[in-house]
Amino acid sequence: MNTTTPLGRIRDHTVTRRSFLWMVAGGAAVIGVPSLLTGCGSAAPAPVAAGGGDIASLLPSYIPIEFAKPDYPSVNGTTPGYVTLPEKLVRSVPKPPGSGAAFTVMTPLWGTIPQTDGNQYYAGVNKILGSEIKFQITDGNTYGDKLATVLASQKDVPDWVCVPGWNLPKRFGAEIVDHVFEDLTPFLAGDKVKAYPNLANIPTSAWKASVFNGKLFGLPMPGDIAGGNPTFYRANLLDKMGITPDVKSADDLLALVLELTDAKAGHWGCGDLWLTACQMFAVPGNWKLDDKGKLVSRTETEEYRQALAWTTKLFASGAVHPDEIAKNGDSKGRFQGGQLLVANQGWGAWGEALSDLRGGDPEYSQLPLPIFSAVKGDKPVLSKGAPASIFSFLKKNDDKAVIKEMLALANVIAAPFGTTEFDLIQNGIEGVHFTKGDKGVRIPTPLAAKELQPTYVFLVDGPTANAKVQFPGFVKAESEYLADASKYLVEEVFYGMQISEPPRYASLKLPFDDLEKAIVRGRKSLKDLDEAVTTWKSSGGEELRKFYQDILDKK
Amino acid sequence: MTTASVRQRSPAPDHAGSGAAKSAAPLVRHLSWQTRLKRDRSLLLMVSPTIVLLVVFCYVPMLGNIIAWQDYSPYVGFVHSPFVGWDAFVRVFNNPAFVHAVVNTLTITTFQLVFFFPIPIALALLLNSVVTPRLRTLVQSIVYLPHFFSWVLVVTLFQQIFGGAGLISQTVRQNGGSGFDLMTNPSTFLLLITGQSVWKEAGWGIIIFLAAIATVSPELYEAAAMDGAGKWRRMWHITLPAIRPVVILLLILQLGNMLSVGFEQLILQRDSVGPGVSEVIDTYVYFQGVVAGDWSFATAAGLLKGAISLVLVLGANKLAHMLGESGIYQKA
Repeated sequence: MNTTTPLGRIRDHTVTRRSFLWMVAGGAAVIGVPSLLTGCGSAAPAPVAAGGGDIASLLPSYIPIEFAKPDYPSVNGTTPGYVTLPEKLVRSVPKPPGSGAAFTVMTPLWGTIPQTDGNQYYAGVNKILGSEIKFQITDGNTYGDKLATVLASQKDVPDWVCVPGWNLPKRFGAEIVDHVFEDLTPFLAGDKVKAYPNLANIPTSAWKASVFNGKLFGLPMPGDIAGGNPTFYRANLLDKMGITPDVKSADDLLALVLELTDAKAGHWGCGDLWLTACQMFAVPGNWKLDDKGKLVSRTETEEYRQALAWTTKLFASGAVHPDEIAKNGDSKGRFQGGQLLVANQGWGAWGEALSDLRGGDPEYSQLPLPIFSAVKGDKPVLSKGAPASIFSFLKKNDDKAVIKEMLALANVIAAPFGTTEFDLIQNGIEGVHFTKGDKGVRIPTPLAAKELQPTYVFLVDGPTANAKVQFPGFVKAESEYLADASKYLVEEVFYGMQISEPPRYASLKLPFDDLEKAIVRGRKSLKDLDEAVTTWKSSGGEELRKFYQDILDKK
Repeated sequence: MTTASVRQRSPAPDHAGSGAAKSAAPLVRHLSWQTRLKRDRSLLLMVSPTIVLLVVFCYVPMLGNIIAWQDYSPYVGFVHSPFVGWDAFVRVFNNPAFVHAVVNTLTITTFQLVFFFPIPIALALLLNSVVTPRLRTLVQSIVYLPHFFSWVLVVTLFQQIFGGAGLISQTVRQNGGSGFDLMTNPSTFLLLITGQSVWKEAGWGIIIFLAAIATVSPELYEAAAMDGAGKWRRMWHITLPAIRPVVILLLILQLGNMLSVGFEQLILQRDSVGPGVSEVIDTYVYFQGVVAGDWSFATAAGLLKGAISLVLVLGANKLAHMLGESGIYQKA
C-alpha cells in the first residue's frame, strides 16, 4: 500500500520516464529470452507471452479487506483518497510471523540512503516482522546497473530482490528468473493465498503483471492506472502572474508556455513536454492495431510523427528552458524553483513535492492540467498504466519453510491503510519519528528525515492509496484529477502482458531514442525518421512484428 | 629469458676448455638458472606483487574476450554459451553506426592531439620561467585543481557558464542582446570538449614536463648565458631538447590511448548535441553491450579497438626509433 511517495521519486527521473514510455505506459513489459536461433542445445525455452492465455489458475484469489473508508472512492480502478485517519488503527497481523532469521534484501531508493545500523525505524519494523530484514539500498537512478551485475552472479543474489519493470535486464525472461528465483505459484495460487490475507487483498491485475514465463514469480508493488505523467503547472506562481491556464488543445498549450516565458527574468515556459505530446496525440506505447487489424509499431504511426512535429515546434519557440534542451542537471529542481513553469512529471511527484517543500514555502503549489487532446473537441486518450511496474523476487531456496516465512513477512509489509503496520512503515514510531497533531495527523520529527525512507514498499505493497491526510486539499485535487483522467483510459494491444522479446531485437529501438531527441531539437528532420523506419523494418522490425502478431493470434 | 639461457647453456660443454678466455659478459649467461634465481631473489620478490596483479587483473580477464566469438549471455556463462564464429565481427564491420563512431573518435582524438597535447608543454615552460617560488606554487595549485573535479561537475560548470540559461547568456540578455547556447551546438562541439579537457587536465599534465625540466643541469644554462644566449635561445637550444625524449614518450602513450576519448565527458553531453558528433567507440560499445544486452557484439567492437590501439603504439614507437629517439621500449 503506497502513498504517492516512492513512485513520485521514480517517475521524476528522466531516464525512468523514457523507459516507462517504452515499457510500462503501454501497460506491457518486455522481458528478454535467449535468441531462438542459438537456443538449441541450451536449456532456453521458447518465448512465452505470460499474462495472456490461461494464467488464471496461477493467480491468487482476490479477497479484499477494508480497514478504512476512503473519502474519495476509487473510480474505474484509480487510487482512492483518504483525508482523515481512522479513529482506531487495526493491527492486521497480531503476532510477528518471523522466526528470528535474517534476510538480505536489495532495493532501490530515490532519496538519501539512510544509515541502516542503529536505525530505530528499521529496528521498529523488524520487530513486528519477527525476523531481521537487512537492507542493501542502492540509488534508484543507477539501480539497473547494479541489478544487472548482481543477477549475473547467482551466488551474490540477496534473499529478496526488488526489480523495477524498467530495469528488467535483457534476457531476464527465461535465463534469469527460472535460474535464480523461486516460483511462487505453489505458495500463492488460488486459495493458497488465504494464508496471507494482506497479499490476498492485492488486486488480481497487479498479480497478473507479476507472471513471468508462465509462472507467478513476482510480488507486486501496485501502481495507479490513470496517474501516468500529468502536465503540471506551478499554480501559485501563475496566480501571481494573473494567468489561469485553460488548455484544450496542443495550440493552447504552446500559447500558454510562450506567454509564461521571460528569459530575461530567468524563467521559461516549460521543460521537455515530449510525454505530454505523446499523450495529446495518443502515441501508442509500443504497438497499435490499424483499421485492418495489422500491428503497427509506435514509430510507424502518424500519431508519433505529429507528436514529434509539435514538440519540434515547441523547442524552436524558445519556451523550453535551455538546460532542458541540453538535458543537463536537475529538471525537478528547476520546476520547483520556478525557473520553468510547466513540466511533465510522474503523478506521484505531486504529493512528494508538497511533503518536501510546504515546510519551507507554505504557498508552494503545483497542479495538473486536466487531460486534453491535441485537437480541440476531440476526445482525449490516456493509455492505461500498468497495474504494477515494480516487483520483488525471492531467491531460490530448497527449504520451503524459508520461502513461507518470507511470504509471511510480505504479508505484514503489504498491510493496507488503516492498519498499525501501514502506519509504522509509512510514518515510523510515535515519539521518535513523528508526533501527533490535530486529528492525529503525523508531524515528522527531524529524525524521520534522517532515518525513515520508503524501502519496505519496494518489496511488496498493498493496493494504492492516497493517504496524505496532512494535505486534505491535495488528496481532493488528486482524487478529482484521477477520476477525470480515468474517463479517457484505453488499454493498449498487449496491456498487462509480460512479453519475452528475443534479445536480437533489443537494439532495434535504440536509434529511435536518439532520433526523437535530435528531431525535436532540430538537428534531424522527419525525413530521417522515414529512413530509420526503413532500416528498422529491414534489420528485424518485420520479424518482430511477426513475433508480436503470433502472440496476438494466440491471445 | 629462460629459453635464451637454455640455448646458451647447451653448447657449454664444447667451450668448457676455452671458458677462461671469455669476457665477463657471456660468463654471466653461463650461470645456472638456480644461481641466477638465488642472486636476483630480492628483485624478483619485489616485482612479484605487480606480476600477480597484472596476471589477475589484466591477463586473466583477457580470456573473457572469448565471448566475442559466442552468442554470450552472462546467465548461461562462457561454458554453455554457443560459439558462433566470426558473426559478431561481421556485424561490427557491416554496421554503419560503428564506422561512424570510429570516424568520430579519430576526429576528436586527432583534434585534441594537435590542440591539447602541446598546451601542458607550453604551460610547463611558462611556469618554469616564473622565478618567485611562492607564485609558482600558487599557480600550480590552481591549475592542478580542476583535475580532481568529476566530469559531471565540469560539464555542469560549463553549462552554468556557457549554457542557454548560463551566466554569459543571461548577462547578454540583460543588456539587451539575445542569448546564445554553446552547449547544444553540434558544430562547435569539438571546440567545446577540447576546451573542457584543457581546463580540466592541462594543469595536471604539466607535472611530468616540469619534472623533466628540473633535471636539466643549471650549468648548461649558465654556460649558454655566458655565451650570450637570451631567454628564447636557452629555451630553444637547452630546455626543449632536454625534454624531447619525455615528450616523445608521452606522445606514444597518448597514441595508444587515442581511441579512448573521454567516455564520461561524451556520454554526459550526448543528448545535448546528439550522437552525430558525440558517439565514439566507447559510448557505442556501452549502448550495444550494456543497454541492448548484446555483449558479444560489444566485445568484438572493443577487441577491434584494442587491436587498432596496439598498431598505433607499435607504429609510433617505430617512428620514434627512426627519428633517433628511444621511444617506450627498444629491442635488446
